[in-house]
Amino acid sequence: MTYGKKQNAFVALEDINFTIPDGASVAILGKSGSGKSTLMHAMSGLDRPEQGQVIIDGQDILTLKEKQIDKFRANKIGFIFQSFFVQANETVSDNVSLPLEIADVSWGERKKKIHAALESVDLLDKIGNKAKNLSGGQKQRLAVARAIVNEPQIIFADEPTGNLDSVTGEKVEDMLFGYNKENGVTLIIVTHDPDLAAKCDMQINIKDGRIESIRDTNTGKTIVATVTDAEESK
Amino acid sequence: MKYIDTIKRAGRSLKNAKARTLLTSLAIGVGAFTITLSLAAGEGGKSYTDSIVNANTSRTELLVTQKQPPASQGPQEYNPQAVSGAAGAGSSTQIAFLSQANLDTITQLDHVKSVTPNYNPNVRYITSEANKKFVVDAIAAFSSSVTGTYAAGSVEGGLSDTEIVIPEEYSKALGFANASDAIGKTVSLQADKLSSPVTAPQSKAFDYTVKAVSSKSGLAFRTQTSVQLSAEANRELYTYINEGTRAYGNFLLAAVEIDDASKANDVKTVLEGKGFEAQTAEDLLGTVNTFINVLLGIVIGFGALAVLTSVFGIINTQYISVLERTQQIGLMKALGMRRRDVGRLFKLEAAWIGFLGGAIGAGLAVIAGTIANPFISEALDLGDISLLSFNPLAVAGVVIGLMLVAVASGILPARKASKLDPIEALRTE
Repeated sequence: MTYGKKQNAFVALEDINFTIPDGASVAILGKSGSGKSTLMHAMSGLDRPEQGQVIIDGQDILTLKEKQIDKFRANKIGFIFQSFFVQANETVSDNVSLPLEIADVSWGERKKKIHAALESVDLLDKIGNKAKNLSGGQKQRLAVARAIVNEPQIIFADEPTGNLDSVTGEKVEDMLFGYNKENGVTLIIVTHDPDLAAKCDMQINIKDGRIESIRDTNTGKTIVATVTDAEESK
Repeated sequence: MKYIDTIKRAGRSLKNAKARTLLTSLAIGVGAFTITLSLAAGEGGKSYTDSIVNANTSRTELLVTQKQPPASQGPQEYNPQAVSGAAGAGSSTQIAFLSQANLDTITQLDHVKSVTPNYNPNVRYITSEANKKFVVDAIAAFSSSVTGTYAAGSVEGGLSDTEIVIPEEYSKALGFANASDAIGKTVSLQADKLSSPVTAPQSKAFDYTVKAVSSKSGLAFRTQTSVQLSAEANRELYTYINEGTRAYGNFLLAAVEIDDASKANDVKTVLEGKGFEAQTAEDLLGTVNTFINVLLGIVIGFGALAVLTSVFGIINTQYISVLERTQQIGLMKALGMRRRDVGRLFKLEAAWIGFLGGAIGAGLAVIAGTIANPFISEALDLGDISLLSFNPLAVAGVVIGLMLVAVASGILPARKASKLDPIEALRTE
């Protein structure tokens, strides 16, 4: 995948080629600067590489027009970020409502969906609270609720536990994996934490914009290349 | 994204920055205040001048004079119908008068109902039973189409030839306890016959019953100090005083009553074609209206200036808001919000600011104007007239107009927001 135009063109990701089955949980592992975030941006349609293909449901999303990509993200993708990005001054309910408003979901439907999403992250009692009054773990749970509220097909989580202590981090992880298993939603986690990666069905190691290895966690089999994970665990 | 959701989100964003929103909208509020007051003054001014027209003259009345010879240097040819007078050093002018023949000509014209010359009889004094004598400034012909204000009595049904309307000041001076006390009493005008020989001067008292006492009005130019008699009574007095003199039968001015106010300008054109000069009610008030319009223009100009200043305030505020909310914008775009919707969100925020400013400014203007109106009317002696009259439609127009101005000033910041790259915006250090 090439970025930039003409003489400024540079290659951020090269020779990246893999397939993710529906409903799988995938970890994209790599150090900062390795290109793992860029990969996630390209896969989610946030970014538009000059070359390459991202095929979701048989459709190359890189060929879509901006309007269609926006619609695709609004309807099929959920995002979770390391810094939560919840709107501090808005209520819990308004935060969760945002993706539904963007996707033009009707009023009655919205209320139901918001309730269901908050219930599944155990935040229903905070529905009317301002987001700024929540703790870090609660904020990330709120972000999870916002990601799942419109029932996406794919959830992208960028270092979802990076800003949380291990106990609350684990709780958020459990929620994500639970949702992934129960609803058959594809979960793609970008992380540099091997412990979190080990919980995923599939681990993709990225180094310097190239795939170092792809490993199936359940079988323990390395599908591509062979490199020890030792250096990653630091 | 639905419009209503965008409006709500825009409103919430502003609520989260209350102080900034309020201060920005106050800037536009100053403009709203000024413009609303000017419009109210314009509306009030219009009804004010209308009242002036009705208090002094009638829209069905034209004032006609003979076309005056141009004032020029050097000796002027003699005009048998004119009277000479000095018009400044080195030049002389002749004033042309209307003869009875002229009046007859005018009476023949289309739409003309009647022609009443301005008799303006010059009496020696007015007196009453109390036997005090006072000079009379002017005697005017009563016209039922002119709206007067009366301290006592009523002129409904007109004024008969033996009745008189006196100004309030005269009723006191002439020895009546108050205005109502004068009603029904007799006053007399002492007139001198000008043609009588100096050795045997003739003088006669004309008695009239007081029908009404005119009160002081901020609008009327002529009812303040002039005594009013019917046209016929005016003619009688005039005839007694002037008959037998050279000036008799020549008038400086005549009031032409027409049957249709909308024909005033047509009649004027015809009169001018026949060598007369005519003034309609509009002509008389033209200067007043021009003056009011110029004043209003200046005030509205100041309001527009305030609005212009607030435009930059809104642009600035919205730019800062975009910078502050980079992450929020990035998130919304990542979640699939379209460029157009992001831009719309910021334009609607600007619209809210405009609405708030407009509502605050216009609201304060209405309150201030309503409070100030009685004081203004009193200070300017306007009676019942409110100089500031608020038209709900105009006020709403101001608010909507300012909202549009605000949206226009929000375009640039909105464009900046809609062009933000979500990846850049969501990058965390």
